[in-house]
Amino acid sequence: MTSHRPADCSAHFGPAYGLAGAEGQPIRLGWSVFGEDNQPGPATSTSSTSFSLQNGRLGCFSLKFFNLVSEIQWPTFRPRLDLRVHFRLIMAPPWQSQRSSSPSQPAGKGEVADVKTQLRNLAGSRAPGVDDSKRELFKKVISYMTIGIDVSSVFGEMVMCSATSDIVLKKMCYLYVGNYAKVNPDLALLTINFLQRDCKDEDPMIRGLALRSLCSLRVTNLVEYLVGPLGAGLKDNNSYVRMIAVMGVLKLYHISASTCVDADFPTTLKHLLLNDQDTQVVANCLSALQEIWSLGGSASEEVSREREILLSKPVIYYLLNRIREFSEWAQCLVLELVAKYVPADPNEIFDVMNLLEDRLQHANGAVVLATTKVFLQLTLSMTDVHQQVYERIKAPLLTLVSSGSPEQSYAVLSHLHLLVMRAPFIFSSDYKHFYCQYNEPSYVKRLKLEMLTAVANESNTYEIVTELCEYAANVDIPIARESIRAVGKIALQQYDVNAIVDRLLQFLEMEKDYVTAEALVLVKDLLRKYPQWSQDCIAVVGNISSKNVQEPKAKAALIWMLGEYSQEMHDAPYILEGLIENWEDEHSAEVRLHLLTAVMKCFFKRPPETQKSLGAALAAGLADFHQDVHDRALFYYRLLQYKISVAEQVVNPPKQAVSVFADTQSSEIKDRIFDEFNSLSVVYQKPSYMFTYKEHRGPFEFSDEIGNVSIGTESADTVDPNRVEANDKDLLLSTSEKEETRGLNNSSSAYSAPSYDASSVSVPTSQLSGLVISNPSVSGNAPQSSFAIDDLLGLGLAVAPAPAPSPPPLKLNPKAVLDPTSFQQKWRQLPISLSQEYSMNPQGVAALTTPQALLRHMQGQAIHCIASGGQSPNFKFFFFAQKAEESSTFLVECVVNTSSAKAQIKIKADDQSATRPFSSVFQSALSKFGMP
Amino acid sequence: MPVAASAIYFLNLRGDVLINRLYRDDVGGNMVDAFRTHIMQTKELGTCPVRQIGGCSFFYMRISNVYIVIVVSSNANVACAFKFVVEAVALFKSYFGGAFDEDAIRNNFVLIYELLDEIMDFGYPQNLSPEILKLYITQEGVRSPFSSKPTDKPVPNATLQVTGAVGWRREGLVYKKNEVFLDIVESVNLLMSSKGSVLRCDVTGKVLMKCFLSGMPDLKLGLNDKIGLEKESQLKSRPTKSGKTIELDDVTFHQCVNLTRFNSEKTVSFVPPDGEFELMKYRITEGVNLPFRVLPTIKELGRTRIEVNVKVKSVFGAKMFALGVVIKIPVPKQTAKTSFQVTSGRAKYNAAIDCLVWKIRKFPGQTEPTLSAEVELISTMTEKKSWTRPPIQMEFQVPMFTASGLRVRFLKVWEKSGYNTVEWVRYITKAGSYEIRC
Repeated sequence: MTSHRPADCSAHFGPAYGLAGAEGQPIRLGWSVFGEDNQPGPATSTSSTSFSLQNGRLGCFSLKFFNLVSEIQWPTFRPRLDLRVHFRLIMAPPWQSQRSSSPSQPAGKGEVADVKTQLRNLAGSRAPGVDDSKRELFKKVISYMTIGIDVSSVFGEMVMCSATSDIVLKKMCYLYVGNYAKVNPDLALLTINFLQRDCKDEDPMIRGLALRSLCSLRVTNLVEYLVGPLGAGLKDNNSYVRMIAVMGVLKLYHISASTCVDADFPTTLKHLLLNDQDTQVVANCLSALQEIWSLGGSASEEVSREREILLSKPVIYYLLNRIREFSEWAQCLVLELVAKYVPADPNEIFDVMNLLEDRLQHANGAVVLATTKVFLQLTLSMTDVHQQVYERIKAPLLTLVSSGSPEQSYAVLSHLHLLVMRAPFIFSSDYKHFYCQYNEPSYVKRLKLEMLTAVANESNTYEIVTELCEYAANVDIPIARESIRAVGKIALQQYDVNAIVDRLLQFLEMEKDYVTAEALVLVKDLLRKYPQWSQDCIAVVGNISSKNVQEPKAKAALIWMLGEYSQEMHDAPYILEGLIENWEDEHSAEVRLHLLTAVMKCFFKRPPETQKSLGAALAAGLADFHQDVHDRALFYYRLLQYKISVAEQVVNPPKQAVSVFADTQSSEIKDRIFDEFNSLSVVYQKPSYMFTYKEHRGPFEFSDEIGNVSIGTESADTVDPNRVEANDKDLLLSTSEKEETRGLNNSSSAYSAPSYDASSVSVPTSQLSGLVISNPSVSGNAPQSSFAIDDLLGLGLAVAPAPAPSPPPLKLNPKAVLDPTSFQQKWRQLPISLSQEYSMNPQGVAALTTPQALLRHMQGQAIHCIASGGQSPNFKFFFFAQKAEESSTFLVECVVNTSSAKAQIKIKADDQSATRPFSSVFQSALSKFGMP
Repeated sequence: MPVAASAIYFLNLRGDVLINRLYRDDVGGNMVDAFRTHIMQTKELGTCPVRQIGGCSFFYMRISNVYIVIVVSSNANVACAFKFVVEAVALFKSYFGGAFDEDAIRNNFVLIYELLDEIMDFGYPQNLSPEILKLYITQEGVRSPFSSKPTDKPVPNATLQVTGAVGWRREGLVYKKNEVFLDIVESVNLLMSSKGSVLRCDVTGKVLMKCFLSGMPDLKLGLNDKIGLEKESQLKSRPTKSGKTIELDDVTFHQCVNLTRFNSEKTVSFVPPDGEFELMKYRITEGVNLPFRVLPTIKELGRTRIEVNVKVKSVFGAKMFALGVVIKIPVPKQTAKTSFQVTSGRAKYNAAIDCLVWKIRKFPGQTEPTLSAEVELISTMTEKKSWTRPPIQMEFQVPMFTASGLRVRFLKVWEKSGYNTVEWVRYITKAGSYEIRC
């Protein structure tokens, strides 16, 4: 045995080494270690016995083992060590190799080659027990496949071995074939034969399995072989086969829609949907048809008619009457469909609801949620009944929250949150269900906190806030923060805030830095809404040492309060002075901005005490490397220089209490999310068009370099090279994206500003007429840097390149029409004919508080908006316009950033030559925005 | 589109793929890398079970030492996806004989592939009922890897059964002795404030059944719940019997229960699946009998000493007793030394969870053992203020006691052959999350 081993090894490592080629470095090392230590010793002799049980087959793991043995020389432990390794070899060989595995592991290839020869030997054999050895080999192949080792090279052998009556062997073989057929279309042809034969087997099990595998090959040029077996499968007298055949039709549709339609399979499915005895067949028909008709392109009239038929009364009633027979999953499917159904009259609504009433008692949470959706959608127009529905669904939904895994609770809680936003009263007496348990995962706790915030009303606020205060001392700091924020949100919702203010002020006295930080931010917001509380708050805030506040947001809040209430806070100017002295150490631009404003405000209230600090702050601000800070300092400087009283009006006007803080989501978006109840939209809190890619056809692939999902290139058949970036597909910017872009802007604007010596600025006051600075001539500067400053102040009008003279002024059709679909289509097809960046005038920027303002203005200029979105400072618009005489269309994507007063414009046009004139029309229209 | 799962992955804690099954073409085989780099290897792990990366959404769940990940590219039904995973795991467990972990998956991967093929087709859930699947996926788990050859052909009518109307029971079962075991298992959730007032209290109960019955029996279960009793007295025009009636907040049933009949007659009638299953679940918030009262006093004496006194009072009948009572009393991290006195059971300090763990194996009703402990702390300046007291947690089981007071009044079995059955009923109340703030 011992003497055989080295020969054995080289025989098996030989090919592996050869195959490894360039990537063979690790092997070479392992090999050489083995080679050098190739002294026959006790270590190797004991190991050989264990390998002999493996029939001398050695792989990567055995190599590792040799390393282990040859490196660790512990004679006493050796036998036990051996036993252990041996055990692992037998139990789970393939994964042993995974420790160091990469998909193309060279040692694995040696093993693959080995399997290949063994398979070949077994292929023709009819010896007894051959199936068992085949099974072991197949298992091995499948396990390699799972780890990611490419075993496509044994395709031929696998197919040869597939002639067997052992159903488990067959299944493994089918699985293998399904996995590799796509990359080996030629070899896949080999399998067609035996799969087709199996499709006619007398055992329905085998017929079904073969049919499923046949349809899973996903090879385009083999579809012709699918049609026959599928047709037979759909007519099979066994429901198992029919059920698989129905899914097969859908698979075929994905591979080749035309083949599927030509064979008239959708019609057959429709027939089965309404006539098959078996509910699983019916359910599969339903999913298949829904998918086929939703993929079929919305344009086709036939498709939309088919979709209507699916939602027609007979179909819906047929499915509803059989709903109890369906499996729980199929019930979800049916209920989802019913939710889209529009009943003719109230009686019908009640009939459907009475029929489905008992589904709310189903153990499967998904069924309960789907039923909830049906109830809510059906009663949308009947306010009274809608309220009753809320009452009815309450108990089952609360049960769902407390039963099942935390993940399931999470899904349900997301839905409850959506409901409670629409109808805050529904859970107001059940708030105790949303008290957090100590051991719950944070994602559940977070949603529960949101629920508590949302259900708080006058009667339960006290209890809820008391509970939330308990969490403020939570070990889990993020949750503690959330709960303090929750208290603040409740305070801003309520009329009676006495108790809450006290609580918040207690937080400030807890002397935990994160608690203080969160509480400060809240006190600031509270003061903006309830200025009458200033006395109490200021007393406490005044005691906080600014040294204990480190977080930028909290620091900014504190500084804001110092500025705003400098009259009442005794030490305000001195605290600010201390902060300004440490200007250099302050890393957050936000804090520095607030510091500038606060010191200005303080100056107007207590000039003698603040004058010095103001000077220091302005000097520091002007020298600041951050663009915004620099700008604001310069702005204040000039303002003060112009007239102090005007400056006071600007910086410190009498304020009105904020009555309602802006809602982050428009009601339109909320409604869309509600329409997509019981889906991901609710969890993400955004409608599906914001996170799914409808046009996307190819597979999502993950690439590490980009760290993102790129769109598969192989499927670029339908889309032209000018494909729209993913961003353009969601015409509206989502909240999270907005934040990202905002963050991006901040960081990108952090480039060092053009060197600018503040002392050299001598702006003649006479030139500054009012607050609207027209175009000051800045003396003593190179033209370049003056340009830069002009730009920064939003004075770009004169600087923008003069538009090319356009002889005939372009006339636009004021009543142009274009529907969103054709807009998207055009946008995708047309190349960008012009891409430009304009500067907006300050009035325009000031007027652009909501997208709607600009829309109305542009409409007046015969430029229509098709979609818009965003929030200050980033807005995005899609406009279109048509020529007055002909139907030539212009499409514009316009991204406005109000903080930098820039508008980026991309124009696409049917008539390329007219782009320039149109661009100037557009620009002038834009520049008129905000002008009286 | 409800759920069209594109792929399902089983990963171990290191991120190695144990099983992967791609159902649809719309995601690449390497999407699992996205999961690994963007979720597993970041702090994100465990912060949210649903995440979007690129155009795909990932649902993941950890079950023992395995992550199960579902990838979808459409706007899928979240509740359905998680329920699917839960059901699938239950199915695997019933095949492996209990455990579901990395080793079980490795030892049964072929079987799992077979099952994955059956339970989902092209991303749509199909049949997940273990009863039916076991008829035709017969390969045993590791218990007998090589010896038992699978039957060459499935049971003749197995494929009919796969999708039959009574999907949960097959015909032709015969038992010598017809027996039904009924377990009512309740877990009490309690959150009590440090002042002793109940902040939140509810009971979630399950009725578990084990049926060994021949043929296709029809069962009828009667409980002492309010609605059922009222309905019954209405039907029989008899006054409601005196005695305690229970108001169930919400009930859900196993799919075998005829819900129409429940709604009209308020009786639970059903054709049970064979073997073990969960018949119903219910929730109660009113009139809960708490089995234990905990009265803690924790005093911080100066900076380095804490005095802990905990009295636990059992408030169920004196003849009953609780088993496996564990009371976890939190202490600060910097605990140095502890000393105890207990009137019953044993206590020790567990540094890993920063708790004094007090165990009482058998706890009779109407008694009140106490624990008094002195805890000495290492004096540190920094951590002094940061001890936020977590709640005291309690575990227990009280047999023959239901916190809700629910009782089985009758269980009738009817089968056309008219055999006699033996019915067994047990009650047990367990602690769910039983927390007392201190």
